[in-house]
Amino acid sequence: MLPPLPIDELRIAVGADGLITGESQLQTYECDGLTNFRVLPGAVVLPRNAEEVQAVVRTCARHKIPFVSRGAGTGLSGGALPTAGGVVISLARMNRILEVDFANKYVVVEPGVINSHVTQRVAARGYFYAPDPSSQSVCTIGGNVAENSGGAHCLKYGFTVTHTLALEVVLPSGELVQFGSPTLDATGYDLAGVFVGSEGTLGVATKVTLRIVKRPEVVQTLLAAFDSPQAAGQTVSDIIAAGMLPSALEIMDTLAIEAAEAAVHAHYPMCGGLLLVELDGSGSEVEALMREVRAICTKNGAEEIRVAQSDAERALVWKGRKAAFAAMGRISPNYIVQDGVIPRTALPRVLSEIDRMATAVNLRVANVFHAGDGNLHPLVLYDRAIEGQEATALDLSYRILHLCVDSGGSITGEHGVGKEKQEALGYMFSEPDLQTMQLVRCAFDPGNISNPDKVFPRPRLCAEKPGPYTPHPLETAGIAEIF
Amino acid sequence: MSITAALTLEECRTHLASIAGEEHAQISGESVGVAPADARQIAEVLRFADANGITVMPSGSGTKVGWGNPVAAGIRLDLKRMNTLLEHPWQDMTCTVEAGCTWAAMEAELARHGQMVALDPLWPEKATVGGVVATNDGGAMRLKFGGLRDLIIGMTIVLADGTIAKTGGKVVKNVAGYDLHKLMTGAFGTLGVIAEVNFRLHPLEVHARTWTATARNAAELDAPLRALLDSQITPSSVQLRARKHASALDVRIAALPECMGNHEASLRKIFGTIELSQTAENVWRARQELFDTEDAAVLKVSMLPADVCRLSAELQQSAASEGVEIDIVAQATGLMTVALQSAPDAAITLIEHLRWRLRDSGGSVAALKVPQVLRGGLDAWGCDSNALPLMREIKRRFDPNRILNPGRFVGNI
Repeated sequence: MLPPLPIDELRIAVGADGLITGESQLQTYECDGLTNFRVLPGAVVLPRNAEEVQAVVRTCARHKIPFVSRGAGTGLSGGALPTAGGVVISLARMNRILEVDFANKYVVVEPGVINSHVTQRVAARGYFYAPDPSSQSVCTIGGNVAENSGGAHCLKYGFTVTHTLALEVVLPSGELVQFGSPTLDATGYDLAGVFVGSEGTLGVATKVTLRIVKRPEVVQTLLAAFDSPQAAGQTVSDIIAAGMLPSALEIMDTLAIEAAEAAVHAHYPMCGGLLLVELDGSGSEVEALMREVRAICTKNGAEEIRVAQSDAERALVWKGRKAAFAAMGRISPNYIVQDGVIPRTALPRVLSEIDRMATAVNLRVANVFHAGDGNLHPLVLYDRAIEGQEATALDLSYRILHLCVDSGGSITGEHGVGKEKQEALGYMFSEPDLQTMQLVRCAFDPGNISNPDKVFPRPRLCAEKPGPYTPHPLETAGIAEIF
Repeated sequence: MSITAALTLEECRTHLASIAGEEHAQISGESVGVAPADARQIAEVLRFADANGITVMPSGSGTKVGWGNPVAAGIRLDLKRMNTLLEHPWQDMTCTVEAGCTWAAMEAELARHGQMVALDPLWPEKATVGGVVATNDGGAMRLKFGGLRDLIIGMTIVLADGTIAKTGGKVVKNVAGYDLHKLMTGAFGTLGVIAEVNFRLHPLEVHARTWTATARNAAELDAPLRALLDSQITPSSVQLRARKHASALDVRIAALPECMGNHEASLRKIFGTIELSQTAENVWRARQELFDTEDAAVLKVSMLPADVCRLSAELQQSAASEGVEIDIVAQATGLMTVALQSAPDAAITLIEHLRWRLRDSGGSVAALKVPQVLRGGLDAWGCDSNALPLMREIKRRFDPNRILNPGRFVGNI
């Protein structure tokens, strides 16, 4: 049981217009993009600046109340799911771009800034912000930092962490600290590196310094149609083996193509496995490499090869790809989005195995994936109205994650562990690995109030004695349960 | 001689020999050197040291053993036996290598499949993977490929209490759990011992060329450097070399042979009237050569990229007026190495001035190689981060008895 919320203190912290306590309004915040988990928070606060975030967090720390920070709520693993009766810190009002420095190639933004707004702000000078999760037109930088978001182009350009130079963070104690710097290799431990991707469990980022990148001279996108995703997968391996580093390598299978076509009419060729290759760089370089890519596609039996002829055509190709998750609604009443990673070479084998597993339980799985880095997004399609099918679909989606781990991969490439994959994290890492991560967690948040009960396989308390796990006194006394 | 109140050196050696083998545990001066064969043996050594309060300094070939504050270690944990490239699934473009493997030995193996870890550390023939990672070393290639933070995808570490933990994984894209390997990179062995490292790999740059532009003063190279970095050319490496009365800017571009001409033309356009000539690849050893000057202090200075030429010119100026000898190699990323020869007082004044000069932009000055005369008078790190209490708490959680390189790192961590 949580202590009653100190509503008056929260109101003083953020002002009456920054506090939500009415039940119907609170319902807006009861879930994120993972909608099958819903929990009603006790209050939502909308701070305007770091001082207000500090005031809220200090209040939470004093009363031992859990808090969860939230951007646009587009996360797909339940990272922004509230704790029942706890506080949600919405960073929606902290949405200013504070500084743009072209000479040093960085921008300083507040966490509520929308991902694509960063690029919009610097585009006129020929720059862009590289990480591009499919939700980039709505998701926020704060959420990207929490999840270490990737996107289609991280094969060449890296993830959010690659582009995060510095952070201003409110620690779970309420203290305000700086991690990193716009200059490289700030002295001390790389706390910015650890904070990015910590899914809101180590504090609240209130300012983020991001690297921006010069837009390449030429970008070309090629579509190649194969009779199976396996053949498309082999082509990906061959392109990489030839020493190329395309900016994106994406594959969609028939189901995914059908859904995307129905949703946005991207004019994809209908086929068993559609490969999308994007190259960028100097004009002569892209032209030479594109010739090589075409030859590799042909060698692997591509039925049709097309290059987007204009920016508009290229944008449409990407629109279809980025709409693929949401488009599943067109071909199935319900679906589960998964996010496993495998070594690239395991692709053909793992895809066949997923197919076999799905057939065995009479379900369909659509495949959309960032093939270049082995990041699969199997979409398990089902109908909640059919009794038992949701449980079967969930079970299948978790078994697919286990398959990824068994193949030498990971349970998540970009969506995060959140609430959804806590148990799977325990499948991927052994107890000593998890205990070591917990040392970091406890150094940042000994009171376990910053997005508690997420990421790790079971609730853990910060025992005073660091090192290998020892039962907490509360646990021995039967007051707190560790399961 | 004794190592702690309760243990003699010989007793300590005997115990370590029981872990790693007779021939791999030796007394040297007032410490015992031990060379474990694997992570399990590292764990046993650390458990013994932790239980007996003996300080441990992990080391590879010792090329950077003097960096940071000095440590009087009871046990020198020598990783030279752990020198194998364990896995190189070349089609996945990843590898797993033991910490004691020299950089060059790893490179040679990876090159058999035309691949590399895209980093150019100091003394690759001697330096080990573990040492490079623990000190977060790296050269001018960082401009194109990023630093170790971007190249390491996983690690096996051993904590002070003997816990063996894995972090990250063997795939390039992975956000499961905390990235402890980022915490270990550049931690100077104060949080745990790195046993194995997993890297993402890049194709070797087969066709590359280097051009050099020269000028008397670094300030003259400011405009072309800024124009280059603002252009769509993506050089592998760019560095500024500067001495009292001479400056040079080196640019290395890798491209398909048929495209090299276009790149050269773009480059010449940027440099305009400043002469540009093709140079040999050994100019990229310039950073390493700064460490060769016998009694020089060597500094790692971190600044904003646009400040590189300006600050170099300022340093050239102070060298001219104050009788200080300086030798600068600065990467276009804003990381500069400076060799500094002068009377101790003048050196300390200059370092303090630099720290003050860089404070507002978030820059820093770490003294890597510190001559004996400067020891004591100089804080090697100059870290005034408000996150220092948190760093200390992390250290306390990882190494509560302070046995791993105590005092070597920032804020006496």
